[in-house]
Amino acid sequence: MKRNWKLSMIACLAALVLLLSACTANNSAGGSGGGEEGEDKKVLRLNNGQEPTSLDPPEGFDSVSWVMVNNLMEGLTRLDESHQPQAAIAESWDVSEDGKEYTFHLRDDAKWSNGDDVTANDFVYAWKHMLDPEQAYQPAFLAYVIEGAEAYNSGEGSADDVAIEAVDEKTFKVTLTAPTGYFLNLLTNPAFFPVNEKVAEENPEWFAEADTYVSNGPFKIDSWSHDKELIMVKNPEYWDVDTVKLDQVNWAMVADRNTEYQMYQSGDLDRSSIPADNAKELMESDELVTEVQAGDQFLRFNVQKEPFTNEKIRKAFAMAMNRDDIVEFVRGIGEQPARGFVPYGFETPDGGDFREENGDLIQDDPAEAKKLLEEGMQEEGWDELPAVTLTYGTNTENERLAEGVQNMLSENLGVDVTLQTVESSVFSEEQTKLVYQLFRGSFLADYGDPVNFLESFTTESSSNRTGWSNEEYDQLIADSKTQSDEATRYEMLMEAEKILMDEMPIAPLHFYQHVYLQKTNVKNVIMHPVGYLELKWADIE
Amino acid sequence: MAIYLIRRFVIMIATIFVIATLTFILMHSIPGNPFTTQDRSTSEAVQENLKAHYHLDEPMIVQYGIWLKSLATFDFGPSIKQPTETVNDLLGRGFPISAELGMWTITIALISGITLGVLAALKHNGIIDYIAMTLAVLGISIPNFILATLLIQQLAVNLQLLPAATWSSPMHMIMPIIALATGPTAIIARLTRSSMLEVLTQDYIKTARAKGLSPAKIVIKHALRNALMPVVTILGTLVAAILTGTFVIERIFAIPGMGKYFVESINNRDYPVIMGTTVFYSAFLIFMLFLVDIVYSILDPRIKLHKKGGS
Repeated sequence: MKRNWKLSMIACLAALVLLLSACTANNSAGGSGGGEEGEDKKVLRLNNGQEPTSLDPPEGFDSVSWVMVNNLMEGLTRLDESHQPQAAIAESWDVSEDGKEYTFHLRDDAKWSNGDDVTANDFVYAWKHMLDPEQAYQPAFLAYVIEGAEAYNSGEGSADDVAIEAVDEKTFKVTLTAPTGYFLNLLTNPAFFPVNEKVAEENPEWFAEADTYVSNGPFKIDSWSHDKELIMVKNPEYWDVDTVKLDQVNWAMVADRNTEYQMYQSGDLDRSSIPADNAKELMESDELVTEVQAGDQFLRFNVQKEPFTNEKIRKAFAMAMNRDDIVEFVRGIGEQPARGFVPYGFETPDGGDFREENGDLIQDDPAEAKKLLEEGMQEEGWDELPAVTLTYGTNTENERLAEGVQNMLSENLGVDVTLQTVESSVFSEEQTKLVYQLFRGSFLADYGDPVNFLESFTTESSSNRTGWSNEEYDQLIADSKTQSDEATRYEMLMEAEKILMDEMPIAPLHFYQHVYLQKTNVKNVIMHPVGYLELKWADIE
Repeated sequence: MAIYLIRRFVIMIATIFVIATLTFILMHSIPGNPFTTQDRSTSEAVQENLKAHYHLDEPMIVQYGIWLKSLATFDFGPSIKQPTETVNDLLGRGFPISAELGMWTITIALISGITLGVLAALKHNGIIDYIAMTLAVLGISIPNFILATLLIQQLAVNLQLLPAATWSSPMHMIMPIIALATGPTAIIARLTRSSMLEVLTQDYIKTARAKGLSPAKIVIKHALRNALMPVVTILGTLVAAILTGTFVIERIFAIPGMGKYFVESINNRDYPVIMGTTVFYSAFLIFMLFLVDIVYSILDPRIKLHKKGGS
């Protein structure tokens, strides 16, 4: 009797094991292994690090979603090899004289992957959907440059008052609140991509699975095994399909950087990020690829907490940094030191570079820093500097940076700061409440224009987090947004950056850089500074 | 038996309720919210919309009510971090994978652990004993993530014998199973050995020998059955822990199991996923402990479930 019971339990267990292995057997038959089929097929194997947050264009507001959506979909404009917006689904456009009204003419041959025409209505539908307060899409604020958008999104206006309109099938009209020099650039953000209205009305969850996903870009989804692998193939309906050279892109979702690198070494991936521990040796590799990333790392001073209430003391701290050493020894991946807040790579109307034209706005100068510290303490009547704590979100990279900064402050300024590490979510929340005194900050651009960086430090901005407020600065940023003359606009932005660096609520440290290893036979994979990956021109030789 | 089962069931429900309530309180008492961003800009209006969308703007008591309702219906709603999927989707997809990996791990750990333990006990202080116990000490002391990285480096990168990571064929399963099974194997081997040694000195084993039973029969039928009690005791917790996914191993081998949701949901303050994984894990653990009690009564008929409860 008892024996039977035991036997049946063992049988149950065995059956379960069998069942489970049968499940995986089926999965593997359907899924992977695209690499080997067909000899002439050009298959690029990439790693996305994780499942994309969402492939619904406005929902995935992060790099892991953008790299995919940007290749599956296409907006009115698309960034080219030199990161400038070019005609894409819109063949051409007219801008009214006051710079506020854009009329886009869509391509006749712009089609969805299911054969439908891409129409002006698809844009109207997608944008209003993005702005719907019920949907609560994060990038909605990017569209506030459109008349009526902010009111609708904050629940005060209606969808009908958003000034976008399908004049006819292929003509799309947008009215802005002010002439916005970077509007065409903004449109390359996936949040502004169209959505096939018919498909979305029929199935509101169209973007969740491979077989319901309808796209209008260079690639379409072939299969998607969640959390595991996504396979894209060339989209034959794409208007510019002849330019697309790759037949297939396999995306792995491997989170661990060491594993990713090991897969790259064993030939399972064509491109890999660099594990922190191997950075030094790999910087010499001929498979190394670096590209500008629009973002920087800096320190925030809380100007409402002593000792950073004093401008000279803030400057002293900022000048005590040795930025070349930070870039070379602390970071070690060939980035640029930041002596201003706007990174390199933004072209001015006269063809120069914003960063170069506005120059170094902060010097690494220990002697001057010491002098400023003394003067600042005198101004405040302090014999001793109030204790300073540098806070950062817990992770190894941040810790290394904080230790570097601590060292430099001690050596160059004779100030001993205490380090404090805080769990990342807590850190994010508490810095907006101005809890900390001196703390790590970083910024990654949402779209490619200097104003995206500088608007972070207006009084009202949620990215300010320093308590700093300057009326002249706020005014300059506001005015720049209504300025239709590009040269004047850039002058205003440069002026604003000078104010920011003069009062120094933040001390920039270095600009970011995209750093990868890539097999040498892979060509023309472009990572735009704003974080969208471009495979339209990619090739394997 | 029926009364015992009912009693266990009621206690189980009560325990889960308490765990869920504590989790709710802890979860909302840590600072941070799912929508704070580190290095991207956002706007107040958008933040308000998001909070309203996930009912995070409601008073705590209302949120608790919503939470109880989702607990009762086992519908935890959409994940905040991966909004196109519900918590049930994530668990439904991740658990079978973690469970498959876990099943193999437990099976292999049991077979090799018990074999090693028994051999070591039978050849007490012999060469096999020393080898087995040296292996066991190594197995316990090498953290599985170190072993995993070493395995990948040797077998996948240098020798190119096995795929480095991901989860699709039996070949992909070999390294994670080895990495994961080594620790439990060592623990089981040591437990089996020590209790086996104890049992072998008991009078009834001498009696069995005196009766002239074959050594194999003595070990399997008389000794092992009693020696396995401590193994069964740890098995409940071990199975629950391994079957529901191990964060580190799944991360290293890029296995799309459940492990990462435990850790990442807390980092992301993804409240529905925290709730879903906690409740799932505790229910599973409680059920495994219940199974252990039943197995006790099979191995040792003196243990009566329905009289003393045995919990």
